[in-house]
Amino acid sequence: MKKEIKEPIRKKWIWIGLVIILLGNVPWYFSEAMVEPFIFGFPFWGFIILVFSVILSAYLSWLCLTQWSIVEDEEEAKGKEV
Amino acid sequence: MDKLVFAGIDGIVILSVFAVVMLVIGYFSGRGEKNIHESLSGYYLAGKNLGFIALFFTLFATQYSGNTIVGYAPTAYRTGFSWLQSISFMTIIIGVYLLFAPRLYVIAKKRNFVTPTDWLQHRFNSKGITLLAIFLMLWGLGNYLLEQLVAIGQAVSGMTGGTIPYQLAVLVFVIVMLAYEWMGGMKAVAFTDVMQGIVLLIGIIAFVIGGVYLAGGSFTEITQYIATNEPAKISVPAAEVNINWFSMLILVGLGASIYPHAIQRIYAARSERTLKKSFARMAWMPLITTGLVFIVGIIGISLFPGLEGGDSEQLVGLMANEIAAINPFFYWIMIIFFGGIVAAIVSTADSVLLSFSSLISNDVYGKFINPNASEHRKVMVGKIIGIVAIFGLLWIAWNPPGTLYEIFVLKFELLVQVFPAFVLGLYWKRLNGKPVFWGMVMGAILAGILTFTGNKTIYGIHGGVIGLALNFVICVVGSYLAAPSVKKDPMLEEDMNAVNL
Repeated sequence: MKKEIKEPIRKKWIWIGLVIILLGNVPWYFSEAMVEPFIFGFPFWGFIILVFSVILSAYLSWLCLTQWSIVEDEEEAKGKEV
Repeated sequence: MDKLVFAGIDGIVILSVFAVVMLVIGYFSGRGEKNIHESLSGYYLAGKNLGFIALFFTLFATQYSGNTIVGYAPTAYRTGFSWLQSISFMTIIIGVYLLFAPRLYVIAKKRNFVTPTDWLQHRFNSKGITLLAIFLMLWGLGNYLLEQLVAIGQAVSGMTGGTIPYQLAVLVFVIVMLAYEWMGGMKAVAFTDVMQGIVLLIGIIAFVIGGVYLAGGSFTEITQYIATNEPAKISVPAAEVNINWFSMLILVGLGASIYPHAIQRIYAARSERTLKKSFARMAWMPLITTGLVFIVGIIGISLFPGLEGGDSEQLVGLMANEIAAINPFFYWIMIIFFGGIVAAIVSTADSVLLSFSSLISNDVYGKFINPNASEHRKVMVGKIIGIVAIFGLLWIAWNPPGTLYEIFVLKFELLVQVFPAFVLGLYWKRLNGKPVFWGMVMGAILAGILTFTGNKTIYGIHGGVIGLALNFVICVVGSYLAAPSVKKDPMLEEDMNAVNL
């Protein structure tokens, strides 16, 4: 059986996605009036930034778990033999 | 952080308990493992066998130091909501790891690397690059260690109400740290990190709960107060702040992931699965660490309005006093929390020191001075020079510098210049040693000049990032101009096609 190798650097969409999230995660695109409405005590712009921070964490965490597998199968197979 | 209400005997008791626990953990991680002192990877990388719990907590406790709390809360207090960036720039570190850690892990396991320099040597086989990289990394580590030593003294003397004076406090914890590190190497560092990380997390969460309670129980009311009294701290950031925010993402993301002790945690992982599981959890930690510390700073604006500069640095101590006064439960939680801050600083300092020693053992001594020495001897040399270095730094630490955040950016400026060599080198076969060397030199010089002439940032962009851009340009243009290297190293070829493993 041919093993499946997943290396994040080789998947362009990962990095395009990351750049888009980062662009959303810095508040350069708000007008001065976007302090209101307040959401859970956060000014509107701050709340959006927080949402993007959560998205960033979720995205990176998900990438680690699902898009990265180079020697895992071999190592796990070896581990079981011991 | 002076005049804590709970300072004094209770603080001393908790700190002593922590010190003893650390020593016991150090003793047991070293006991019965001869291998630890006989081999470089045994001592410096815990035999490359760190499991998920130890690896995760050592990544966490090392990356988040005491300054993350004591320094970042006042920054949030002074700058307001734009300090939300502290969540982003701590998270992006994991994104940068994803650029290089997967392949580096495989090569490092295969070629038995101990330090980051091992990879550069393997890739470029150039004395110039190796020496320059060692210099930049030792500089960054030394500076970082110095900062931790200063912080230990401030935290302990503050917590014990000056009963334990600053210098004695540093000395005691340095000796504790040296003792457990001597006994158990990386294994001791990682296992103590588990305890130190847990204490820190509990402390931060309790701190936020206490803070919100004090401020009337509603975060909305706190921000309403800010909107009325200090609207600048809640307004949409100006263009320069946003540029600076992007620049921080680059500087911290690239800098923190390329720290020698960070790289060595990639090497030390038991397996790829352990490593990626740890990173996957780490991606969430900024939200409950720097994110909560940010909330602490914001609450501080309404609890203690009007603190300026140096006074605002006392914020965490001021708030802890109020929280400790709520009831006995919070009183003891605050004592543990302050012990946690000390633990967090120690957990960062021990990892940095270990990495420092490994560069001396494996790179300076093992590559240039006495390559034929036994591994036992190499380990010994690193341990001893590490101790000498600590006491050299202590001597400097007796005169602590001003604001903590300032030093934090400074050390990255030079260290980050190793990044192009390290990461471009992993993937781009054409990357040539000469331009890499000159890129590092010019990048470091430019970053240094900008910093020392008071231009730490230009239009919000950090000097280190500008130096790094120059460095990248020199590496890329230089490699295109240079003839592709004639000599091909089959072993390297194999590694760079990574994945025929």
